[in-house]
Amino acid sequence: MDIDTGVVLAAGEGTRLRPMTHNRPKPMLPAGNRPILEHVLDALVGAGVSRLVLVVGYKRDRVQDHVGPTYRDLPVEYVVQDKQLGSGHALLRARDAVSDPILVVNGDRIIDEGMTTSVTEVFDGETTLGVIRKANPGHYASVDAEAGRVVTLLEDRDEPSFPFVNAGIYAFTDEVFDRLEATPRTNGTLPITDAVVAEIEDGTVHAAEVEGLWADATYPWDLLYLTRRLLEERRVNGTEQHPGVFVAPSARIHATATLQAPVVVGEDCEVGAGSVVGPNAALGRNVTVGANATVVDSMVDTDTRVGVASTLVETVTGENVDLGAGTVVSGGPGDVILDDRVFRDRDLGAVFADRVRTGGRVAAEPGTLVGPGARLRAGVTVSGRVGANAEVTR
Amino acid sequence: MCGIIGCAGRGDATLETLVDGLRKLEYRGYDSAGVALADRAGVDVVKKSGKLDALVDALEGERDRLDGTVGIGHTRWSTHGAPTDANAHPHTDAAGRVAVVHNGIIENYQALRDELTEAGYRFRSETDTEVVPHLVARALDDGLAPEDAVRRAVSRLEGSYALGVVVAGVDALFAARRDSPLVLGLGDGANYVASDVPAFREHTDRVVYLEDGEFARIEADSWVVTDADGDPVDRAVNTVDWDPEDTGKSGYDHFMLKEIHEQPRALRQGLQGRVDEMRGTVTLEEFPSLSPTRVHLVACGTSYHAAVYGARLLQSRGVPAQPFYAHEYASAAPPTDGALVVGVSQSGETADTLSAIRTAMRRGAETVALTNTVESTMARECDHRLYIRSGPEIGVAATKTFASQLVALNLFALDVAPGGDDREAIAALRDLPGNVQELLDDSGAAEVAEAYADAGSYFFIGRGLHFPVALEGALKLKEISYEHAEGFAAGELKHGPLALVTENTPVFAMVTGEGEGARKTIGNVKEVEARDAPVVAVTDGRTEVDRYADHVLRVPETHPRVAPLLANVQLQLVAYHVANDLGRPIDKPRHLAKSVTVE
Repeated sequence: MDIDTGVVLAAGEGTRLRPMTHNRPKPMLPAGNRPILEHVLDALVGAGVSRLVLVVGYKRDRVQDHVGPTYRDLPVEYVVQDKQLGSGHALLRARDAVSDPILVVNGDRIIDEGMTTSVTEVFDGETTLGVIRKANPGHYASVDAEAGRVVTLLEDRDEPSFPFVNAGIYAFTDEVFDRLEATPRTNGTLPITDAVVAEIEDGTVHAAEVEGLWADATYPWDLLYLTRRLLEERRVNGTEQHPGVFVAPSARIHATATLQAPVVVGEDCEVGAGSVVGPNAALGRNVTVGANATVVDSMVDTDTRVGVASTLVETVTGENVDLGAGTVVSGGPGDVILDDRVFRDRDLGAVFADRVRTGGRVAAEPGTLVGPGARLRAGVTVSGRVGANAEVTR
Repeated sequence: MCGIIGCAGRGDATLETLVDGLRKLEYRGYDSAGVALADRAGVDVVKKSGKLDALVDALEGERDRLDGTVGIGHTRWSTHGAPTDANAHPHTDAAGRVAVVHNGIIENYQALRDELTEAGYRFRSETDTEVVPHLVARALDDGLAPEDAVRRAVSRLEGSYALGVVVAGVDALFAARRDSPLVLGLGDGANYVASDVPAFREHTDRVVYLEDGEFARIEADSWVVTDADGDPVDRAVNTVDWDPEDTGKSGYDHFMLKEIHEQPRALRQGLQGRVDEMRGTVTLEEFPSLSPTRVHLVACGTSYHAAVYGARLLQSRGVPAQPFYAHEYASAAPPTDGALVVGVSQSGETADTLSAIRTAMRRGAETVALTNTVESTMARECDHRLYIRSGPEIGVAATKTFASQLVALNLFALDVAPGGDDREAIAALRDLPGNVQELLDDSGAAEVAEAYADAGSYFFIGRGLHFPVALEGALKLKEISYEHAEGFAAGELKHGPLALVTENTPVFAMVTGEGEGARKTIGNVKEVEARDAPVVAVTDGRTEVDRYADHVLRVPETHPRVAPLLANVQLQLVAYHVANDLGRPIDKPRHLAKSVTVE
């Protein structure tokens, strides 16, 4: 059954992705050379909705500025969730903006266009949940379904798992709002699934099995995985000049530069003489790669400058980062420290968050996280974590 | 200035189409509004002084009466006569056979009015426009067919006009233009006419721009453009490439704030494909290679401040350049002396600027239109065009288009006067969108505005390229907050204006870099501080000005030529937040219209 309104929950920060989320919410983080959110919106457009409602909150200006009043000709309405108290709480904010059945998705997980369509096809006026076959549920809710009905949904990871996980794609009638209102909060928050569980017990929730690209970034290094996957799926912006080499028409590539597939170079980029970009590299908009630099297995975000003769391997940069000449990030595996937890042997060279500035010849040990606005003096070698706006002089 | 909309072929949706169109045109003026629908029996008119919502209220209960399928609508901004119901458009003849909407000024209206009054036609308003329906009625009385009657009436008019006319019993609307913008929209089974594309953009992206002296007959399934003699002219159909998206507020309370936040995107558009940092070159599309020996920049309002900036930039590259108020240039033109004359106007329809450009052309000057509006009158009349590519701006107070103008002037200066530091300058321009984003992410302007929203007067000082930003900062604050504000060249303060400085007059000082200009401006800051004025420093933090300031608005460090653009964004935000704290109608300030198409 057709659904007119797509609701996107895009209010959360994504704290585990710090320091990348200092200036923008997780849905606005780049995957390939487009924000995660665009992939989500494309899936809703593909399902045939005629209007979009975005629930925004944390750093909402960045969502509004990027998406604007319409997306691919569909009108976009914004509703604000001031406090991030769970997905159900976020959905409730949209109550006044919708009346018909709604298709609800998370703004921070890449989904395939076919998935939203599968859910609307199953939806007949009763709550429908997209489920994806997955042997190991990880931290996703495990779901059991029989004969097209959801039988059990378990958020608790310690429980024995079922064949499916919750794909986070829901079709509801507007009765969902009354049910959410009636659902008590747990620990102050209200997940959507809390309201769905009661319905599952009544046996009225349809399961729609979905297939395709379903990818999420939990930690900063996952952005490299997403970039690789999206290049594989060719879901990047740019004209395919050679197989797997995507270049925006306004980008300027020096005749002696080499682009190695798969790779994408965004709008307004300049790639200098003798440089090598790719494989598995994505340059966002207006990135400058200086002469004789090498960028491999990396995601370089908008307005960033990579100095001449730099080497970046398995590197994530935020926006407007300025890396001086001869910067060296030699890649993982490395141990990454995040919230007093150590993640061993991650495939991560370094993360430079928004507006990091470095002098020349800076080197980063594997797994380094450099916070937004940090200044690294010429010649230093950094490792572990560098705080926001820190100055590293030796 | 006013806004016109007309449509044929919208059936039962005619009234809705007109009202929606008027809403999109509200930025052009809004002290009264009205609509007229024509059917067999006559024309039905509803019009109301005040904002468009007053008209919408008045239409309640009138909908059954308004059942025609051809209609016209108008939002008015007074030039002749007070904003009353009677003076609102559309205007009709005595018998209610003809209704007319008009943008412009009919210069011979008094003579026509006397002539018509003599002949027994009774006038009900004080407007120049009302002569038009009576002229049409008189021609109908003489036995002319409706189209011929409208043509005869138009042939009598002197001055400027964009006209929309409906006549009872005719399933067509008529339009004519001279010196006022008018554009046709070509839809599926319906056609439109309006002052500006947004009025019908949600229905079609195919448009035909009318030229001066042209006449159009528009029906549901057909349209024809003719010259003054009635001979059909072949007019190109253009496709406009921006979307209705640009007319929504994207979650912001005001268009102005949305447009301030759109600046990174607007600046990227303005630079795209035009700069090559590695080669240090600028390429402007369809723009010839010019090496002017001197440049005159003519403009009004915010665009004049861009012209001041542009002139200084050109001077710094060795090109003698001067900014002029366009209205002054038109009435007291200096010797052109081989100058290239650049008109700076967001809309490309600013009457004063057009007048200055025409003055220059008569004197044989080569002209450039620096504008946001493709196919605008200025773009068509000038020898060359440089588009700023800012995208549509709805807020009456110009924000992103000013920033885009400054970028375009940088490109112009680099193009006509290449120098030794071009690569550095281009790098700074390429960094600019990201710098603006950095500023927007953490501005601090709202807190400053809150601290000073009840100040008696606001002063802005800057030196060199910061001087035009001081002027613009003051103008923005005046326009939308209705508070008194003045911009000064920092060094001029002690030559008089310092007498006005008190503990209740915050002074905003632009101090970037650490050169002599910054040092001297700090000296001026100390002067006002000694008079107990609160000081707000807009600075990149490279000097000790923070020490003398009560508040600091930070801007990222950058090249001296683009630092003023960043300082300007902070001042835009201050103006916005002061006006918002004072509860002003930010997108529609009193007495002001988006583009001023009367001299």
